[in-house]
Amino acid sequence: MMNMSNIKPSSETDYGHDLLFGVFVTPVAQPAMQAVELAIAADRAGLDLVSFQDHPYQSAFYDTWTLISYAASRTEHIHLSPNVLNLPLRLPTVIARSAAGLDRLSGGRVELGIGAGAFWDAIKAMGGRKLTPGQSIEALEEAIQIIREIWATDKPGGVRVDGMYYPVKGAKRGPAPVHPIQIWVGAYKPRILGLTGRVADGWLPSLAYLPDGPVSLKGMNQRIDEGAAAAGREPAAVRRLLNISGRFAQTGRSFLNGPPQQWAEDLAGLTVEYGITGFILAADDPATIELFASEVAPATRELVAAERAGR
Amino acid sequence: MNYNHSLQFGTFITQRSDDAEGVVALAKHSEELGYDLVAFQDHPYQPALLDTWTLLAWVAGQTERVHLAPDVINIPMRPPAVLARAAASLDLLSGGRLELALGAGAFWDAIEANGGRRLTPGEAVNALSEAIDVIRGMWDVADAHPLRYNGSYYPLAGAERGPVPAHNIPIWVGARKPRMLRLIGQKADGWLPSRTALQLGELRMGNQIIDEAARAAGRDPREIRRIVNITGQFTSSPGGFLEGPSKKWVNDLLPLVVNDGVGTFILMTDDPRAMEQFAQEVVPNLREAARQGLPELGAARAIRPTAVRAKRRAGIDYDAVPATLADAVIEPGDTAYARVKDTYLRGGSPGIVFQVKDVGQVVEALAFARAHPDLPLSIRSAGHGVSGRSTNHGGIVIDLKKLNRIEVLDPASRRVRIEPGARWMEVASALEPYGWALSSGDYGGVGVGGLATTAGIGFLARAQGLTIDHLRAVEMILADGSRVRASETENPDLFWAVRGAGANFGIVTSFEFEVDEVGEVGWATFLFDASEPAGLLEKWGAAVESSPRDLTSFIILAPQRRGQPAIAQMMVLVNSGDAAIISNRLQPLAQIAPLYDYSAAIMTYADVMANAQDVDHHGVGEPNARAGLIEHITPEFAAAAARLIHNNVVYFFQIRSVGGAVADVASDATAYGHRSANFSVNGFGANRTLLNAEWDKLRRHFSGLYLSFESDRRPERLYEAFPPKTLERLRILKAHYDPQNVFRDNFNITPAPQEQLQQEGKKP
Repeated sequence: MMNMSNIKPSSETDYGHDLLFGVFVTPVAQPAMQAVELAIAADRAGLDLVSFQDHPYQSAFYDTWTLISYAASRTEHIHLSPNVLNLPLRLPTVIARSAAGLDRLSGGRVELGIGAGAFWDAIKAMGGRKLTPGQSIEALEEAIQIIREIWATDKPGGVRVDGMYYPVKGAKRGPAPVHPIQIWVGAYKPRILGLTGRVADGWLPSLAYLPDGPVSLKGMNQRIDEGAAAAGREPAAVRRLLNISGRFAQTGRSFLNGPPQQWAEDLAGLTVEYGITGFILAADDPATIELFASEVAPATRELVAAERAGR
Repeated sequence: MNYNHSLQFGTFITQRSDDAEGVVALAKHSEELGYDLVAFQDHPYQPALLDTWTLLAWVAGQTERVHLAPDVINIPMRPPAVLARAAASLDLLSGGRLELALGAGAFWDAIEANGGRRLTPGEAVNALSEAIDVIRGMWDVADAHPLRYNGSYYPLAGAERGPVPAHNIPIWVGARKPRMLRLIGQKADGWLPSRTALQLGELRMGNQIIDEAARAAGRDPREIRRIVNITGQFTSSPGGFLEGPSKKWVNDLLPLVVNDGVGTFILMTDDPRAMEQFAQEVVPNLREAARQGLPELGAARAIRPTAVRAKRRAGIDYDAVPATLADAVIEPGDTAYARVKDTYLRGGSPGIVFQVKDVGQVVEALAFARAHPDLPLSIRSAGHGVSGRSTNHGGIVIDLKKLNRIEVLDPASRRVRIEPGARWMEVASALEPYGWALSSGDYGGVGVGGLATTAGIGFLARAQGLTIDHLRAVEMILADGSRVRASETENPDLFWAVRGAGANFGIVTSFEFEVDEVGEVGWATFLFDASEPAGLLEKWGAAVESSPRDLTSFIILAPQRRGQPAIAQMMVLVNSGDAAIISNRLQPLAQIAPLYDYSAAIMTYADVMANAQDVDHHGVGEPNARAGLIEHITPEFAAAAARLIHNNVVYFFQIRSVGGAVADVASDATAYGHRSANFSVNGFGANRTLLNAEWDKLRRHFSGLYLSFESDRRPERLYEAFPPKTLERLRILKAHYDPQNVFRDNFNITPAPQEQLQQEGKKP
């Protein structure tokens, strides 16, 4: 699980990562323990990841970082990530140290999904800065650089990033995380896809927001691959994850609407055709989480293993 | 000078980032040692320290009781609007255990190096002042407008307020210089002086500045807690300040309590033995010495903030609330008020709410209510009452939500003890592992207290009888505050009265039930074409009456919506896990009308009850509900009901089947007396006058009413709720148990007049 060492590029479209299965839990503030209990359920079910959206301007939701820290404390094995962290309302140096601190507390169970921000009026209402989409991507690139530099305790000297948005002038490095925290970027448009290829460890879009459904993945993957190539990185350096939603039904009706075995086939298809190796299901009930973990995940792994072995 | 704050003790642990486990272990150790608080410094630019907020949330997940505080938050690196929401989140997740101490910032080079904004000391005070306004504004959901704040440092352009923290999170401020001290006097809840202040006489001077500023701002200086971080050495022979044996520490600290009004001591140490010695030798002796020096310390509640006092209602002696109720009382100005003022169906604005945590607090809260005889008094278990209003305007609410334990007393006799604040879904899931169930209502979110003192007409009614038929004993608090037990052998009159009219006789704090063995059940829901509602109702009634008593069914009709077909929803529970039996029972009911959809499954009673969520209630206005009990669904009644629905008199119309085991009990065996009815009918209408006028016409069909669905307050409803002999007996008992009529919120049975009691020579 989450082991980034055994990457074996196998075809142009499958980047070869081990499969990762997670859930996307709504961070509702009421009922007070609902989100935590679902995280615990996902942990017990053996899933790899529990993730929470981050909309700090939304009063029905918990503050995501507080929730993640608390949920990490109440779980044992599962990794946790914002999905994705709203950069504009937080300082990158604080994000870096918070993530590293939680990684230390949790024994290396934190990943960092991060986004450039959206809903700029709401961000401004909360005292944040309103940026254009272009500016927000530049700001994200700066932030990722700062975060990685803060974590890089093996480098000499302080952190200096002479940024437009987050100037950092000699900040001390550290603490370092205890495992290589993966930075996953939520991205759809060409510029930010390029950025993802250049600097991120993963790409984390939502299936529902893909303009043409799964078919869109092909062109978007290419943008990421080009970004990676431009930075001298292998395409496999960027894991492709996907937020999905679906429905379990007795009989197959449509994509991700049917019995678990059909889900497995649908997801294995995404791996084989588009290189998606992280599936994060929007789920707010324990039964769905349990079914996804106990039936869909192993069946998908089996199908993908067979496909990869057959190559 | 003392400010009458109960003494609290905390630990301050260095959160070394290279020893996360050790830090958490010390925090847990602090809780085990009985400390009130664990605090961590906040220097977000310092890599040797774990991120404070992350750590606080982590420790919250590893502890249960101890409060948590940053000491102090670095405001320049944590924008206040996000911090407010993070604080509310942590407070909710931890069950109300956060104290928020803030600092204006220092080490500006480091702040700037890390991307924060460099401010001059003067600017930093102003920025902190704004931050406090923003944080308080974000928590203030009583204000329905988005938060606009025209600040120089933290302008907000209409932020959504909320979430509401679990408790009034106090805002403490770390300060040394006069400007900051004045700011504390103006708007903070606590002062954390710098450590050096302890020895330099700065405490007294600081207190003076704070107190003057507080008074100038119209506040009471006692609103502000004084908190000090302390360090010292336990040694065998006495040395300087806080150097020496425990006794020396007590002697050093006592003047800070008595003369300088310190309420909280936070011991800065990473040495578990020092934590232990302080907790075991200093804390108890300092408490005792303080009690001797200040006999009045902690006797009354600490003074409430001016902002809270400003929202107090007339006619309530808030300052008379005893210290023993300090953790139970919620006033209109309190953060938690928004969570407790309304109920499921009703908007309320009570003047004071006591969310009691034990029986002692019930007695105390009731005494407070007796001292306010003219105010409405509402008793709430989970807040679903229709007749039991459980909120009010300007009066007193005793909220039993936290009295919610469920325990098995004797597995052999299936004897279970349940407190009133438990909800039926929790009861069902607690009984499920034993293969037991207790018939309740149709909704898992309903509380035990109200339902189990009235009747309880649920999905196992025909199979098992009413909820009250399983009741074997109660413990309750009577109007005079006395605690009594009632059963068939102890206070049997009272036990009789509680089963049907309990709300008039006291507050039941514990119910003992004998529950039934119930395995898996058949559970089905049907959606019918209700274009012929009268025929449907009549056929439904006949089918139910001819079904064996292992079947109970409820049916719901609503007016047809424009462009949609008229539909009826039927729920059926068959008390059997046998698919053939279930199918056999469902057959006749499935044929009462053309079927649109249905589902049927075998599950547990707990699964059936798992239909509610644990969320706050935000009902608005007043529900208009009417009720009736009926022997049979006659063609005349079915036609009348159909007209009611068709004419939009009701927006919700439900019939529940009763009979079966309910009718096995004699009508005079309990205060619920209408045992022969086969159906309980209820309707909700938008227009009270219309509903009352039309529902009154149905009365000729009815043989009484089930009071839990009746909101009409006209006195004749009482005669429908109770048969004449039952009512007469209830009045006599009421005269005995509640002569002052303290409990009058829910179908008030006025006490029989004294002359009647004497005349008849009746002694209850």
